[in-house]
Amino acid sequence: MTEIKGDAEKIPSIWQISGESPPRPLLEISSIRKDYRQPDGSNMTALRLGPLTAYPGEAISVTGPSGSGKTTLLRMLAAITKPTFGEIRFAGQDIARLGNAEAAWRAVSVGYIFQDINLLPDFSVLENLMLASEISHVPVKAAESRASSLLTRLGLDGRKDSRPAKLSIGERQRAAVARAVIHRPPMILADEPTASLDAENARVVIRMLTELCAERRALLIVATHDDAVRRALPRTVKIGSEAAL
Amino acid sequence: MRVTTVLRVALRRISSRPFQTFSVVSVIAFSSGLAVALFLAASGLRLGLVNAVAPFDIAAGVRGSPYQLVLNTVFLQDVPAGNIPADAAQRLSDDSRVDLAIPVALGDTYAGLPVVGTTSAITDVKVKGVPWLRIKEGRFWDGAFEAVVGAKAAALTGLRPGDIFRTTHGSIGGEEHGTPFKVVGVCHSVHGPYDRAILVDIASVWAEHDHGGDGHESESGGEVTAMLIRPRSYADAYGLLASYQRDQSCQVVFPAQTAVRLFSIIGQGEEFLRAVVRSVAVCTLLTTILILYWSGASRRDERELLHILGVPHGALAAISWLEGTMLLSSGVALGWIIGRAGVAAAFGLLGNATAIEPTIPLSAGEISIPAALLAAGSIGAFFTALEHTSDRQP
Repeated sequence: MTEIKGDAEKIPSIWQISGESPPRPLLEISSIRKDYRQPDGSNMTALRLGPLTAYPGEAISVTGPSGSGKTTLLRMLAAITKPTFGEIRFAGQDIARLGNAEAAWRAVSVGYIFQDINLLPDFSVLENLMLASEISHVPVKAAESRASSLLTRLGLDGRKDSRPAKLSIGERQRAAVARAVIHRPPMILADEPTASLDAENARVVIRMLTELCAERRALLIVATHDDAVRRALPRTVKIGSEAAL
Repeated sequence: MRVTTVLRVALRRISSRPFQTFSVVSVIAFSSGLAVALFLAASGLRLGLVNAVAPFDIAAGVRGSPYQLVLNTVFLQDVPAGNIPADAAQRLSDDSRVDLAIPVALGDTYAGLPVVGTTSAITDVKVKGVPWLRIKEGRFWDGAFEAVVGAKAAALTGLRPGDIFRTTHGSIGGEEHGTPFKVVGVCHSVHGPYDRAILVDIASVWAEHDHGGDGHESESGGEVTAMLIRPRSYADAYGLLASYQRDQSCQVVFPAQTAVRLFSIIGQGEEFLRAVVRSVAVCTLLTTILILYWSGASRRDERELLHILGVPHGALAAISWLEGTMLLSSGVALGWIIGRAGVAAAFGLLGNATAIEPTIPLSAGEISIPAALLAAGSIGAFFTALEHTSDRQP
């Protein structure tokens, strides 16, 4: 069983310091819990999380030991799974109640990066980006322009026609970043995006992610157990045995 | 997600893994092809027998086994059992119940192919109102020692109008007759045993065997191996059958009836073949579903990625189903071609070696095999797709 203690409300935000009125929160999590049924019929609590509010443009790291529920949290935020108890509101909407619109909501609202498999192996880098754009209903012209710009910025210009298997791990993760942001979602979820990378590549990927999210004022939530990543992001949510803000 | 996108993703998954696709399609193609081939072999053999007997309503020959008579006269196989005396043959020809009587003298060969002595009356035989024996090249004979060559005989021997050949008494290795025959025509295919025949004027056969008193027991002086008869009516056919039941000089049989009896013996083998066909079809189906299941299982990460990109479960299932169904369709279509081509080749060889020329028109039974495989496979692929795209907990 894992839990989170405390949340962002305990830290004075930039809005409180500047005296300006803060923007409306993008993400509001009440106390939530996720249980899974075990083969023997008993329930196993995978995650227990206290209230959490996050704003557009914030970059948050979620840390905790393996099995602490980081992936479960991200999957709930992406509306892949629903909390057993509690509520997750995105822009004021309870995402557990999206019903059939869940996939369409995710296509528009979420950019997701996995630790490893982030690109369809049968498609080139550019095709992966165009497919993601198509699923998110980005017009083709706009998608082509964004893809070209992103690939140049991420140093993948010469690799756009390569299949994922032909890329280095670092290139793959940079392509994953491009794929996750091409449709300009308001929330980017990254599940251990640097776990397979060396320090230099990890630094590049996190820098690109934070820059791109900041530019579009997207909320970035990164599940990680990498201290360097945690330090690179301004806000940390710890779950599991090390739970503390 | 648009239908075209679903189709594009499914097609790309197939085309980007050529070895895997080739393996899967090959397994489906060979197993479904085997099912089709077995079905065609069983029904084609029966159809070939039916085609062979179609031109001949009644066969009359020397008393003995009706099977041997039909094998001799209709299928041009085996050694003739003996001849009908000239007077008995004449009596049959003159019978008021007989519309057409075609004498047949067998026993000679050329290059192992049967030489059939007969009359021009054979050109009057019709099947379903259409002339059975038609000249493709040259003309029918109008004189002694002229010959018309069956389609397959022409292909096998290379005989063409103007060529000269000598017949042999009996099979290969027998004594060669002295007077040569001149080929004057080549027939269209009759899709039956007579494609292998070389037709000559029966009077020339009698002349060959009378010449020099060679002592052969074959045709001479109006004796014939058999009479192929077209009765005036069904009643006349049964009347003839009844009249000749106690006749000592010859027997009268309905070739179709005899062939059916013959086939009922073979039919037990056909039933076994059909059981094998059903078993192979079921095995094909199970193999296909298993392949689709494992192929789908190996793509779980890709489905997870597509789902997280915003592809709904329905579209994911459609991609998996389409992929499976396209592989299945390709395999079944290829299998059908392989099955048909294989059987056509086998029957082509069989037709050259024996007298049967099974033509295999498309039948509902044949279509039912790939159709059933496709239908059941598609349903299997659908459930496999549902199984793979059902929500999984991490």
